[in-house]
Amino acid sequence: MSVVVTSGLTRRFGSITAVDRLSVDLPASGVIGLVGPNGAGKSTLIRMLLGLVRPTAGSATVLGAPISSPARYASRVGALVESPAFVPGLSARANLVSLARLRGLPLARVDEVISFVGLAGRDREPARDFSLGMKQRLGIAAALLPDPELLILDEPTNGLDPAGIVEIRSLLMRLGQAGRTVIVSSHLLAEIEAMCDHVVVVRSGGLAFSGPMSELLARTRAHIDICAEHERDTEWLRAALTDAGWTVTAVETVLRVAAGASAAADINRAAAAAGVTLSRLVVVQDSLEDIFLAMTGPSDGELAADGAAAFGEVA
Amino acid sequence: MLAATRSELVRMRRPRLLAAWFGLTALFAVMINTVVFSTVSSGVVMPPGAPGVSFPDSATLAGPDGLVAGLSAASTLFGVITLSFWATLTATDYSSGLIRLLVSAQPHRWRLLVGKVVALAIVTAAAMVVATTVNVLVAFPAAGGAGVPTSEWGTNPLSSIAGAWINAYAALLVWGVIGLVLAVVSRSAAVAIAIGVGYVLVVESIVKMAIGGDTDWLLGSTLTALARGGTTSLAYASAVGLALVYVAIGLGLAGVVFTRRDVTD
Repeated sequence: MSVVVTSGLTRRFGSITAVDRLSVDLPASGVIGLVGPNGAGKSTLIRMLLGLVRPTAGSATVLGAPISSPARYASRVGALVESPAFVPGLSARANLVSLARLRGLPLARVDEVISFVGLAGRDREPARDFSLGMKQRLGIAAALLPDPELLILDEPTNGLDPAGIVEIRSLLMRLGQAGRTVIVSSHLLAEIEAMCDHVVVVRSGGLAFSGPMSELLARTRAHIDICAEHERDTEWLRAALTDAGWTVTAVETVLRVAAGASAAADINRAAAAAGVTLSRLVVVQDSLEDIFLAMTGPSDGELAADGAAAFGEVA
Repeated sequence: MLAATRSELVRMRRPRLLAAWFGLTALFAVMINTVVFSTVSSGVVMPPGAPGVSFPDSATLAGPDGLVAGLSAASTLFGVITLSFWATLTATDYSSGLIRLLVSAQPHRWRLLVGKVVALAIVTAAAMVVATTVNVLVAFPAAGGAGVPTSEWGTNPLSSIAGAWINAYAALLVWGVIGLVLAVVSRSAAVAIAIGVGYVLVVESIVKMAIGGDTDWLLGSTLTALARGGTTSLAYASAVGLALVYVAIGLGLAGVVFTRRDVTD
């Protein structure tokens, strides 16, 4: 069963296309990562799924109901869109009570979510006095109020310290393991890799990848970084390896050879044959970040731009 | 809709907010009564149609409705307070991002809007009770100090107070709806208050001078007539009818904008 199905979903704001003919099918249960660079259309997609923004074209369903009728699934969906929003002068509890009243939920549910997110004992303090981490937890508590089948969280770890990120991550994984479907938007790839079963990568409003995390990780490649013992041999070594058929890029005295671990011995032999002794030979496995940058392209991400500047392609 | 109203009332249960709203209302009630009675005793004649406050004469103050004359005299100032709070409480839903949470929890946006209006109307009624109570408490010493006879005030005080309360409250509801409409459209409390107050206190006076003739149907004049229970130029029934038209247009506009516009805040 699918929790979210979109077909040609498009949203334009004037001349800007935030979401561009996006067709994706998200499975029920587990934690689903929604990844993309800033401005890729993640938040707009989430807003459309929640009925906050109407699509320009295309269609989508959430829990089997069309997004043109969000009232049909609102009671089964909890969401945290961008930063947590509350009445700062009210206590955390009063804020949650207000939302529980709006949803027609019993007040006992407020106690349950307060306890679940670990805010018990602090819930009578004004929300404005909360730290960023506590506000995020309060936001997640608000999203959990309706005991949702589908939880949509937009950047839930934004601004959190490492301990807070670990805490929220474990909380979301618990929810996923408990049979709920959690869609988490983030640009923190390590976080996505650590907790998601399924991942959707969006680029410029369109779909770059959708599938199990294992499938995405299977796309990782390796390269080998080598250094000549004497710096003056670097150019000679690069030419020798290129002549031997390898693709080599250079950053200062480090040569990066596009090859897997199995080629390490061959590279070492080729260097020796060229009369160069290697002072360093390291097999480096591409990270999820490398795959992400390869998918989203240098124009979409600052990291990609930095990477392009740092590595000069060598013919 | 009831759920939306109850939810909104929980969010309004903020001591600072209520203290500011009720405190300003009480302060204006004291100030207006003091000024109205002292103006009569000093013999100063205020120009008719001065923006914000209309000054009753000594005969009106000494009459059966003199006890609550301050309420209708200050109706525009109470209106400004009401407009400001309705606009602020509506616009902060946008500026705080709370609107995202509310609309995703209750996608029937009309229910959210009507629930908010009802909740604001309830708090406005409470503010009007404060204004009326303070007015009654202040009117006696103010009249005594100004030498205005109060013997006729006891003729039918409850009826007089209730009538003044209902008229002023009806006018305040229209003021509030104006604030809400402007806030929904502009999504900014400052812009909504500036436009609302600026129109009634400044622009309408200019419009009156510019077009001359019969201008009693204009918003500010209608609300003044409504708060006073009718004037010589605009009967009470006409004021009520016009006010209902303004409310219907305002809520209709707010509803259309609120239900059709994307929530991008």
